[in-house]
Amino acid sequence: MSQCLLCQQVLHPQMTLTQFWRWQPLPVPVVCPRCEQQFERITTMHCPQCGRQQTSMTVCHDCERWGDQQLRNHAVYTYNDAMKAYMQQYKFQGDYALRQVMMAPLTQALARQNYDVLVPIPVNQETWQTRGFNQVTGWLQNQPFQQALLVTADHKDQPQSAKTRQQRLLTQQPFSLAPNAAMVLAGKRILLLDDVYTTGRTLRHAATQIYLGGAKAVTSLTLAR
Amino acid sequence: MNDEQSLFGRQLPLTAGPANSSAQPAIVSVGQRKQCQRCHQWLLPTDQLPNQAWYCRQCLQLGRLTSQDKLYTIAEPNRFAQVTGPILTWPGKLSPMQGTAATAILDLVRQQRDQLLWAVTGAGKTEIVYPALAWALAQNWRVAWVSPRVDVCLELAPRLQQAFGHVPQTLLHGNQTAPYRYCQLTLCTTHQLLRFHAAFDWIIVDEVDAFPLATSPLLQTAIATAQKPTGSHLYLTATPGEQLQRQVRQKRLAVTYLPLRYHGVLLPQIAVRLIWRWRESLAKGKLAPKLVRQLQGYRRRGQRFLLFVPHVVDLKPVAQALQQAGIVGGLTVHAADDDRAAKVQAMRDQTVSFLITTTILERGVTFPDIAVVVLGGDDPVFSTAALVQIAGRVGRHHDFPTGEVTVYCHSQSRRVRLAQGMIARLNRQGKRLGGQRQ
Ligand SMILES: [Zn+2]
Ligand SMILES: [Zn+2]
Ligand SMILES: [Zn+2]
Repeated sequence: MSQCLLCQQVLHPQMTLTQFWRWQPLPVPVVCPRCEQQFERITTMHCPQCGRQQTSMTVCHDCERWGDQQLRNHAVYTYNDAMKAYMQQYKFQGDYALRQVMMAPLTQALARQNYDVLVPIPVNQETWQTRGFNQVTGWLQNQPFQQALLVTADHKDQPQSAKTRQQRLLTQQPFSLAPNAAMVLAGKRILLLDDVYTTGRTLRHAATQIYLGGAKAVTSLTLAR
Repeated sequence: MNDEQSLFGRQLPLTAGPANSSAQPAIVSVGQRKQCQRCHQWLLPTDQLPNQAWYCRQCLQLGRLTSQDKLYTIAEPNRFAQVTGPILTWPGKLSPMQGTAATAILDLVRQQRDQLLWAVTGAGKTEIVYPALAWALAQNWRVAWVSPRVDVCLELAPRLQQAFGHVPQTLLHGNQTAPYRYCQLTLCTTHQLLRFHAAFDWIIVDEVDAFPLATSPLLQTAIATAQKPTGSHLYLTATPGEQLQRQVRQKRLAVTYLPLRYHGVLLPQIAVRLIWRWRESLAKGKLAPKLVRQLQGYRRRGQRFLLFVPHVVDLKPVAQALQQAGIVGGLTVHAADDDRAAKVQAMRDQTVSFLITTTILERGVTFPDIAVVVLGGDDPVFSTAALVQIAGRVGRHHDFPTGEVTVYCHSQSRRVRLAQGMIARLNRQGKRLGGQRQ
């Protein structure tokens, strides 16, 4: 008997007739349908740069302000209350088991992206010690990835929300390239992976370094925007 | 308050503790398994982090504990400031029947026995505990008054503040920001007890049958851990579950009964009315004519009422169907409702005439002169205890000791029959004590 990871309600797996006849392994749900419905998927109507849900497909106001520092980000979900609560428990309370909630949706989203090498945004050493995990790689199942970036500054030592927009935009480049990064990146199409797109500063810093490593193209995917 | 005081009888994860504190690992291995030392639950083999540390998911809301953490404690010294002035400042007076129960409880506390006060809804059980609590505080005991429900704690806090005006008190629950204070009397949710270790000489567990204590081994453990080895506890309830009743039969729990309300009028009995397939009608936006007629009657006579429905999703269609029938002037309210407190207050202030609600208002909330109607009383969310509690909202006030309780069901239900049986049994006992019929 398994329980929903988010609300502890007992789960009743639904077996369809097709699954029964084809003798397929049953998909094992980790959240109940009600909790799952709380997360809001971003449709094709989104900003082509940051991936935010909107009513048109034109570049949004926030992205216009970035000028020619362009980015191509896709996001899976909107950053609504359910997503905030999820990130709070997973990342800030450190409930590592909750990684399972987003594994399947992220696997599907990754399958729709065109890239050669996946590069997750790293966490700094202190976070690794206290939190005990990288919240981004926690979502990956069997997808190969390269830890091509290192964090030099404590770029995430306080929650992004605690800084003003001005402070966030002024942050110094926090990333450097890992020793063998050039070998991995040269001539390749790189997909950066991060948890939440807030201002886009983190991803732009990361993209800058990846290009320095010789990448041919850089796009990004975030769980939420 | 100094660092030491904050550790008296507590167990907290710190990077370093004061010199006279002792520390133990937060997660310990017992054979092949790992156990959390705060909540005493077993970890699953999957509860390991990539940095190799283990963490406990069961008590995560209190802040994550990992195998890298240590829990610091200082043995409870009962070092309280002398209370200046009388301990009990309650201006009220117990009825003779309440007084008898209060004396029985005090005798058992003196013997440090674990006990249960089984008092009907509206018996005034809080006040019945006051004499024993005053005695315990006079012994320099450290006492916790806890409830599984934060609502109950919030309602109780000002009452205890008034009744024990000179005794320093602290209120602890999940969503509060005020810093911890070391006090002789602690009022908190059962969850917060997990932060204590052998602290309390006496623990009063209010509404012991309320979710989730009844089903949660974690919270049972919390009481056992927070209590001193020499300590004891008192359970308060109107509707003890099977487990508690068994402990009473096995004499592991001493019991004091109070089957009669403080005003001496017997409990209102549940009237059952069948409405076949009400859910299908509701899907079409309709409610059964007899229910509509009853509620229209209430509105005409100015009788205020609570209408209980099984689920949050039922609130809106029911409200709409009532509006269609011209029954207006009420509000819907549920557990996660942001305006919950304001809506309940509006009902108290009589600015609204009725509330449509889920089981959240089954206990702890009191409105004078109220009628209660349950739609779908045969739904499993309405346990026998919940139904007795819901019926117990009616006739609590001295000036309005009677009222109607009507439960509408699709079919006969065992839980409803058991609830009627429990009320009938209490009323038979109450009548022997001179209780008057409704
Ligand atoms: Zn759920
Ligand atoms: Zn944009
Ligand atoms: Zn624990």
